[in-house]
Amino acid sequence: MIFFQNVTKYYDDQHVLKNINLSVSKGEMVFLTGPTGAGKSTLLKLLYAAELPDEGEVTVGDFRIGSLKPFEIPLLRRSIGVVFQDFKLLDNLTVYDNIALALRVRGRKEKEIKGLALETLKNVHLRHKADNYPRTLSGGEQQRVVIGRAMVSEPSVLLADEPTGNLDPDTAKHIARLFYEANIHGTTILIATHNRDLYNKTGKRVIRLDGGVLLGEEIG
Amino acid sequence: MEHMSYSTKTALQSLMKEKWINLLSILTVAASLLVSAMALITIYNVEIVARTLPDKFTMVVYLKDSMEPQDIKKLMGQLTGKEYVAGAKYISREQALTELKHTLRDVSNVIEGLDENPLSAAIELKLKKESVTGSSVKNVSVDIRKLPGVDDIYYEEKIAETVSLLKTSIENFSLIILGIIIFVVLFVISSTVKILFYRRKNEIEIIKLLGATGGFIRAPFLIEGGVIGFLGGLFATLGAAVFYFTLTTSFSAFMPLLRTLIMPVEIVVLMPIVGIVMGVAGSLISVGRLRL
Repeated sequence: MIFFQNVTKYYDDQHVLKNINLSVSKGEMVFLTGPTGAGKSTLLKLLYAAELPDEGEVTVGDFRIGSLKPFEIPLLRRSIGVVFQDFKLLDNLTVYDNIALALRVRGRKEKEIKGLALETLKNVHLRHKADNYPRTLSGGEQQRVVIGRAMVSEPSVLLADEPTGNLDPDTAKHIARLFYEANIHGTTILIATHNRDLYNKTGKRVIRLDGGVLLGEEIG
Repeated sequence: MEHMSYSTKTALQSLMKEKWINLLSILTVAASLLVSAMALITIYNVEIVARTLPDKFTMVVYLKDSMEPQDIKKLMGQLTGKEYVAGAKYISREQALTELKHTLRDVSNVIEGLDENPLSAAIELKLKKESVTGSSVKNVSVDIRKLPGVDDIYYEEKIAETVSLLKTSIENFSLIILGIIIFVVLFVISSTVKILFYRRKNEIEIIKLLGATGGFIRAPFLIEGGVIGFLGGLFATLGAAVFYFTLTTSFSAFMPLLRTLIMPVEIVVLMPIVGIVMGVAGSLISVGRLRL
């Protein structure tokens, strides 16, 4: 499903990722870990074409990231759900509309959108905040909106960059359960995290990254 | 168009949020369209005047004195058969003298001393409206001059030329005005939309990351441009109506001719529609070229 072949990425002549070779099978759940600045976020950005590889080849499903035509970029992004580290919520939209937006860009019908968005709000324990604006929510609540937005369209690939960074342990556990459920239903998931609790004793692959280099992998 | 409700909502939100820049844009569009509305009213009224001028145009065909009644009858038949002739009236030498005497009744001694009638018989021709233009009238006179028995032709060249000049001027004037207005409106709306686009750049980046297509991102801007154009057109119509009623009521006391001014009803409908079209086109110029 996801392939990195000899992928290198520079920012201003500095290596951010160096000769990465990695593959994630369809329906697999993989954790990406490493210190701040290890290149985890950049690696995820390559997968939804927010960044392009300077060398090598990145493939997501049928999409070859380095040679995407402009009209293919929205198609790629619609097949992926992303939990952004910096949330990227729209301040002028309510919680409900932020989640619904992920379906609207996919051209879903309003009736269908309503059902799915409300169900997702329930899943992330934010049904009562549907009409609130993001700025009125706590950091943890905002993070749950982002997770809801990423999951509402039931994408084939889910990418999450520090998805539990702002959550209390109980909510983090709840969110982790949502990821596992999505994975059980066949979603391929790649999570970049510092949170050991998220991957310890899960039996899932944990890939270690440092200084833009893959150091190895283990089973969590 | 399933995302239209989102696009409309976003466009209306942006109109309210950026109300000052939008209001400025609406007023500029309104002022531009008002100028074009006033130009259209002027053109419409001048056109009406120009249309009545050909009715006043007469061409007088003087006949040779040697013409016999049957020759005159034949010539009348030839003239009325011409496709450019709307009507013909024969004036005998005697009728011409009577008319002259009536015209010069205050200075009758001028013609009293004449031994014989110096005037020629003539045929007064009314031409069809489309033939009363400078070049066409000249061609008509050349054509008629060829007919047997025609001695001379007289017509008010100025009327024909005035009609021709008036029509050409109206066409040129309207083209120039329209060109300027189109440019101004498109420029104002495309600049406004571009500013709005850059103000929403972060939001657009997020929507792009969610998988939005260029069409999805552009739609609210096209709607916003259309609304700006529509409101501009609406204000222009109101302005034109106020302008028209002021001219025909208050100002007509000084210039009674203004009372005859007509405001075509089409303008009321036309201006908002033109506004919408220009608004959408202006937005398209602005966001259509952007790579999204």
